[in-house]
Amino acid sequence: MVRSIETIWKEGFVKSDTIVVPKLNDLYNKKSMHIVDKFTRMFKINLVAIVIGSFVITAMSVLVHIPYMGLVFFFLLNTLAFINYKLMNGLYTIDKNVNSYLYLKTFDSWMKQMILLNQRFSRLLYPLAFLSVVIGFWFGGIGGDIPGEELVQVLLVKFPDMELLFGLPLYPLLIVILVTGLLAYFADVIYTLDFNIVYGRVYHKLDDIIADMEELQN
Amino acid sequence: MSNDFYTTSILPYAGIIIKICRAYTNNQEDFEDYYQEVCLQIWKSRDRFKGQSEWSTWVYRLSLNVSMTLLKKRKNNPKYFASDILPEESEDSITVFADEALDHLYTAIKQLSEVDRAVILLYLEKKSYQEIAEIIGTNPNNIGVRVKRIKERLKKLLDGKIY
Repeated sequence: MVRSIETIWKEGFVKSDTIVVPKLNDLYNKKSMHIVDKFTRMFKINLVAIVIGSFVITAMSVLVHIPYMGLVFFFLLNTLAFINYKLMNGLYTIDKNVNSYLYLKTFDSWMKQMILLNQRFSRLLYPLAFLSVVIGFWFGGIGGDIPGEELVQVLLVKFPDMELLFGLPLYPLLIVILVTGLLAYFADVIYTLDFNIVYGRVYHKLDDIIADMEELQN
Repeated sequence: MSNDFYTTSILPYAGIIIKICRAYTNNQEDFEDYYQEVCLQIWKSRDRFKGQSEWSTWVYRLSLNVSMTLLKKRKNNPKYFASDILPEESEDSITVFADEALDHLYTAIKQLSEVDRAVILLYLEKKSYQEIAEIIGTNPNNIGVRVKRIKERLKKLLDGKIY
């Protein structure tokens, strides 16, 4: 006689060895690996994008006759990529043969170190990037007249009383100095915003997992 | 997760969770992943349980939702799961249950769609059509017809395999 599925279900589970409850261990192992792998992937892609971007910006700056800006950008972006590339090597040295919590905490420390170094570098990067734009427009193309000096001549005709400092118009110079200072002062904040846009989700997920694990331990 | 919570609120319902997780996984590693994830989600969501239904119903609902979500996640991101990282194990070689007929039944259930699996599992757990509809979030009037169809499909799938 063929048994109904209801009977098979009922009788099958009556046997005591049918239900063996798995142990709750290594709960986060694969999650940990997954999140670190994901971050590493994103980090690599970002580095490659920075290097490619440096070439694109340099090429564009030559095309629009502000090569000095492009050269400074090229130097800054490649320095940024190099620093982070070196940092990434530290990521590969994280010991995977430890428990998930320790693994994630080590990764978290690496992240914090990486953020700190990038924040410090940003204090140079953002002001220099801004100055490179100003300098780029000031000097224009290589050789020939300097657009910045031509602009000063035009302004002097229109505003003969305009104050100059080392041959530069005082107020625009002050504005450039102010913006440069502000960019340096708020570099940490700007970097954090930038970081959150790119890695925010992964980073917060990491925080959540660590918080969960700490709660699990209590 | 405290041991107390696990012992009092999850362990008595481990059977439910296991039955559901088994239906959505093909090997022991994935099954253990699913089981642990379900337990974790139950623990995380415990504050959202308002007592409007039985705790067991809540466990059913969460187990099904988590299992279906993980199945979807697996399709999108295979490396998330142990079985995709660990050496391949032939699924046919794994005998999960001591009862051969139950093993065949599970194999057949796994050939159903995700929702049909949920429906038949709840039906086999003697949930009323109303409860099944509530857990799945569908119209109770359709459940009876759906159960009938699923049973017919299972019968065909099991044809000649069980006595």
